[in-house]
Amino acid sequence: MIGKFKAGMFASALAIVASTVVIAPAVTNVASAGATTASTPLNLANEQGMLWSCSFNPFNPSYLPYSVGLTYETLDFVNALGNAKVTPWLAKSYAWSNSNKTLTFTIRDGVKWSDGVAFTAADVAYTFNMLKTHSALDLNAVWTVLSSVSTTGNTVTFNFMNAAVPFFYYIAGQVAIVPQHIWSKIANPVTDPITKPVGTGGYLMNKCTPQNIQWTRNANYWQKGKAVIKTVNMPAFLDNNTCNLYLAQGKSQWGSQFIPSIKSSYVAKSAGNSYWFPPVANVVLFPNLTKAPLSDVAVRKAISYGINRSSVSKIGEYGYEPAASQTGIVAPTFSKWLSAAAKSAQGKSYNPTKAKNLLKAAGYAKDANGYFAKGGKELAVTIKTNGGYSDWVASMQVVATNLKAIGINATVVPEAANTFYADVYNGNFDLAYNAESGGPTPFYEFRQWLYSKNSAAIGTAAASNWERFNSPAVDSLLNQYTATVSAATQKSIMNKLQNILVNQVPVIPVLEEVDWFQFNKLAFTGFPSAKNPYAQPGLYNEPDWGYVLDNLKPIK
Amino acid sequence: MRYLVRRIGFLLIALWAAITLNFFIPRLMPGNPAIAMMAKFHGHLNPASLHAIEVAFGIHTHENIFVAYVQYIGNTLQGNFGTSLSNFPNSVTSVISKALPWTLGLVGITTILGFIIGTAVGAIAAWRRGGVLDSVLPPVFIVVSAFPYFWIGLMAIWLFAITLNWLPFLGGYTETVTPTFTVSFILDILNHAVLPAFTILITSIGGWILTMRNNMITVVAEDYVKMARAKGLRPRRILWQYAGRNALLPNLTGFAMSLGFVISGAILVEFVFNYPGVGFMLLQAVENEDYPLMQALFLLITVAVLVAIFLSDIATAILDPRTRNQE
Amino acid sequence: MKFSTIVKGIWSFIRRDKKAMAGTFILFGLLLIAAFPNFFTPHDPAAEVYMPGVGLSWNHILGTTSFGQDVFSQLIAGTRQSMMIALVVGFLCTILSVLVGITAAYAGGWLDDLLSLMTDVVLVIPTFPLIIVITAYLKSASFWLMVFVLVVTGWSYGARQLRVQALSLRNRDYLLAARARGESSIYVIFVELIPPMTSLIVANFLGAALYAVLAESSLQFIGLGDISTQSWGTMLYWAQNNAALNAGFPIWALAPGIAIALLGSALALLNYAFDEIANPALRPVRAKQLRAVKS
Repeated sequence: MIGKFKAGMFASALAIVASTVVIAPAVTNVASAGATTASTPLNLANEQGMLWSCSFNPFNPSYLPYSVGLTYETLDFVNALGNAKVTPWLAKSYAWSNSNKTLTFTIRDGVKWSDGVAFTAADVAYTFNMLKTHSALDLNAVWTVLSSVSTTGNTVTFNFMNAAVPFFYYIAGQVAIVPQHIWSKIANPVTDPITKPVGTGGYLMNKCTPQNIQWTRNANYWQKGKAVIKTVNMPAFLDNNTCNLYLAQGKSQWGSQFIPSIKSSYVAKSAGNSYWFPPVANVVLFPNLTKAPLSDVAVRKAISYGINRSSVSKIGEYGYEPAASQTGIVAPTFSKWLSAAAKSAQGKSYNPTKAKNLLKAAGYAKDANGYFAKGGKELAVTIKTNGGYSDWVASMQVVATNLKAIGINATVVPEAANTFYADVYNGNFDLAYNAESGGPTPFYEFRQWLYSKNSAAIGTAAASNWERFNSPAVDSLLNQYTATVSAATQKSIMNKLQNILVNQVPVIPVLEEVDWFQFNKLAFTGFPSAKNPYAQPGLYNEPDWGYVLDNLKPIK
Repeated sequence: MRYLVRRIGFLLIALWAAITLNFFIPRLMPGNPAIAMMAKFHGHLNPASLHAIEVAFGIHTHENIFVAYVQYIGNTLQGNFGTSLSNFPNSVTSVISKALPWTLGLVGITTILGFIIGTAVGAIAAWRRGGVLDSVLPPVFIVVSAFPYFWIGLMAIWLFAITLNWLPFLGGYTETVTPTFTVSFILDILNHAVLPAFTILITSIGGWILTMRNNMITVVAEDYVKMARAKGLRPRRILWQYAGRNALLPNLTGFAMSLGFVISGAILVEFVFNYPGVGFMLLQAVENEDYPLMQALFLLITVAVLVAIFLSDIATAILDPRTRNQE
Repeated sequence: MKFSTIVKGIWSFIRRDKKAMAGTFILFGLLLIAAFPNFFTPHDPAAEVYMPGVGLSWNHILGTTSFGQDVFSQLIAGTRQSMMIALVVGFLCTILSVLVGITAAYAGGWLDDLLSLMTDVVLVIPTFPLIIVITAYLKSASFWLMVFVLVVTGWSYGARQLRVQALSLRNRDYLLAARARGESSIYVIFVELIPPMTSLIVANFLGAALYAVLAESSLQFIGLGDISTQSWGTMLYWAQNNAALNAGFPIWALAPGIAIALLGSALALLNYAFDEIANPALRPVRAKQLRAVKS
């Protein structure tokens, strides 16, 4: 009996395996065929290393909510790739008054929530006041500068404690407006998953499974003629490689991936595969300013001159991320902010001879190992980086080789992500390689780097300014900038800050961080490009990616 | 009976050890989940949100570690694992319940298949000592079992999914399809399971072949098998009912453990194939410092192993009279 | 029994057994490479100075990586770490297994109960998830940390096996005689008890070494090891993170996998052979002999 039973199981097991192998080719071939029409779905590809939670709370702190920009919208759109140009969105206009301490928005008429209820100024005030009550939702910390938000008719008035003009970007451009008639009935908006988001945007969540989120177009969208794609899918990818293969096989038409050897592994694989990587911020070496030897400006300058940034870019990042400038200005995105004086003071950015001379002038001399030393102490530094990003580790290995060549004994320490970020935030490093979020003008990144109030004592987590830079003069320049709307004053302040970056080297920009963006130009049209950079193209940029979706059209 | 009581006692101690280990490991390690969350956004989150995240996660509540331990044991026994930080605000239980069926389906079935095929082949190899099967299979599977199984997975993807484009390499089913209870959807699931199942089978089957073969060789030499032969029973019957049954017994515990390890066993296979199971979820929880999720997963895996061992103990007690007479 | 006789016996067995012979050859070759990598390495394995993504050529017999490193040189340089992990973890696990297993069997009583309980608990706690959790937390898993984690999780299987065998030997006549002579426990254990168990101990060493090689490469592959070191596991990590298979440098991912499998196979083949020594019934027989026995 037992014998027969086993033999039977064995045979049926083989049969299952055999039958799946046989049906396999048939199923896949069907999936990959077909030409683009209005009903062709757009598939998005951005690896997040997780299955979807199907929670669309736009104030979720734990992962990208995938609702801001396409389902929930903002008051204005601020384009980081277009000189912070403001496009009116849910608000049709805005005005500063009361020496830039009051900001008034006039709300657009005729906009409806996706459940048919009219959108009003009260929704805006409700949203902001809810962020005040539930500070866990205030991801942009707008209530650190606001004092009150109120409505009169179709206007919403924001009062500030002090003038904080750059916060316009967060208030108007980042905070998603939610419907009062639904949210006021939610018991706890912090822990509510919001599984069926009701918004004003062009695309509405249709179905969500752990493996895929699907959106359909909002037929009653207030921007007529926009948001025309019937179905948008976003499969969940757990691993970068799988996501890259999916893109390469042409199954996705819009991706935001780091793809190694992109020409051979993506562009060449399917017709129409293209990419564009616009720079948006810097990836920076943060020197620990609180301890020797990096408290010595000569050492920091020598490091900056000793790094061959174009070689770092080529080897570490396949050339995708261009070399950064010690002035801190990201080119070409923010080139009009570049200070000619700072640029000429810096001179040639890779200059190993000058680096060695700077160290000699500061009293360092080569020791028996061939490294510079002073007072019996060898110039030895560790570079900590996130071991989870193989491109960063590869980049830092090039930097370490560069530094050894100018007589600084540098060692790369790739750390587990959790350890690395704990070390960076708490100031436990010599040099740490990391990036700030930046913003629509260079000011945002400079403030994140340099503002002393962002920092914290060593051993306490600092939100930014991890190098612990502290200069009352710089703080005052940053405060002056936040109080003005004058472009000329802003420019002159930024010039001074660039000089400080060049002369004091509080941080050492190495490469420019880019938006990862791949697209198939044969399937859909309307993507942002170098010629028309109307929004950031990365799928993780909110609300930009939703506004790009509004503009996309299938190619017939 | 005495045997079972002893085993239950042992399993309870093992459970307590796992629960305690599970409590202390994360607390002895550096890091902070709010910072891990910030880091996950790779700089696309306003630095000021660090505070908001800490508020949402309830971090910075300094508690007495002993009180926390007692609370933790209480919560664990009630099956209350809290909120997953990386899937905030979903509960750990709901997050795991989404992933568990996939792992049970893929890895569970392949483990059972591997055991059955391996045991059958091993028994036959031992029965036909020196035959073709016996001289070819052991060395082949010794070598195959020594391959890193994630690497076999990578090669399978490269060959069958990329180069030949025969099979999918991503997920549990075609990603944009909505799950329904239809034949075509089930075929789609099977289609997606072929490569990962093949990877697990090919690397796990060798162990069963070898252990069964070795047990069988010892058993075949025993008197009662010789007796059965002398009595002129059909060889098939001797093979499966006499020798096979007894050679299988020592393997039962091993099989039970591997069934329990099903949940964890294929972590890297799930990772390589983007299979949406709990093994991958554990990696994700570790990466995001999602303590509650990590603890629940680790516990789930341990309990599964212990339950499987317990079941095999019962089976052994029933099938093997010797255990009843112990002591 | 003298150790020299045992060693001679083992050697004569290996010489006659094809599987054991193959395993010994591979292991010896890899040991040689690990001991003298510079003799085999044509290029600096870390140097990123060659043309990236070069195919097979006389200058780069396995091509180069996308960073322009020589794949063959990396493979050679990586041998040492994998061999070290195998040997050190195998050795430490064996010591621990022998210590716990034999003490338990020899002492008996409550100590046996306690040690056996410990062994069984460690045995049932899922190892790989535990290793992942531990290494993910500790600072960039260095060599010794990896060794520590693998030893802590890897000794129990061997301890259990050795205890069982030691128990069966404990009451043999020559052991009882030695005790009756008034020999110390240390003497009895080291001179009378352990030598007959040599083949099982060696088999355990090989098993633990195999486990270490596979677990280490798995951890490194998912980036939980120190990725700035040279080893086969980290080679796979870098190859996978740079899409070696899809971007046209398949050798970069193929070579380290085959190298791990080679070392693994050598250990597994030897392990299998030592099982055969420990249990003579398992030794291969010729079909003719078998028929003679059966009839």
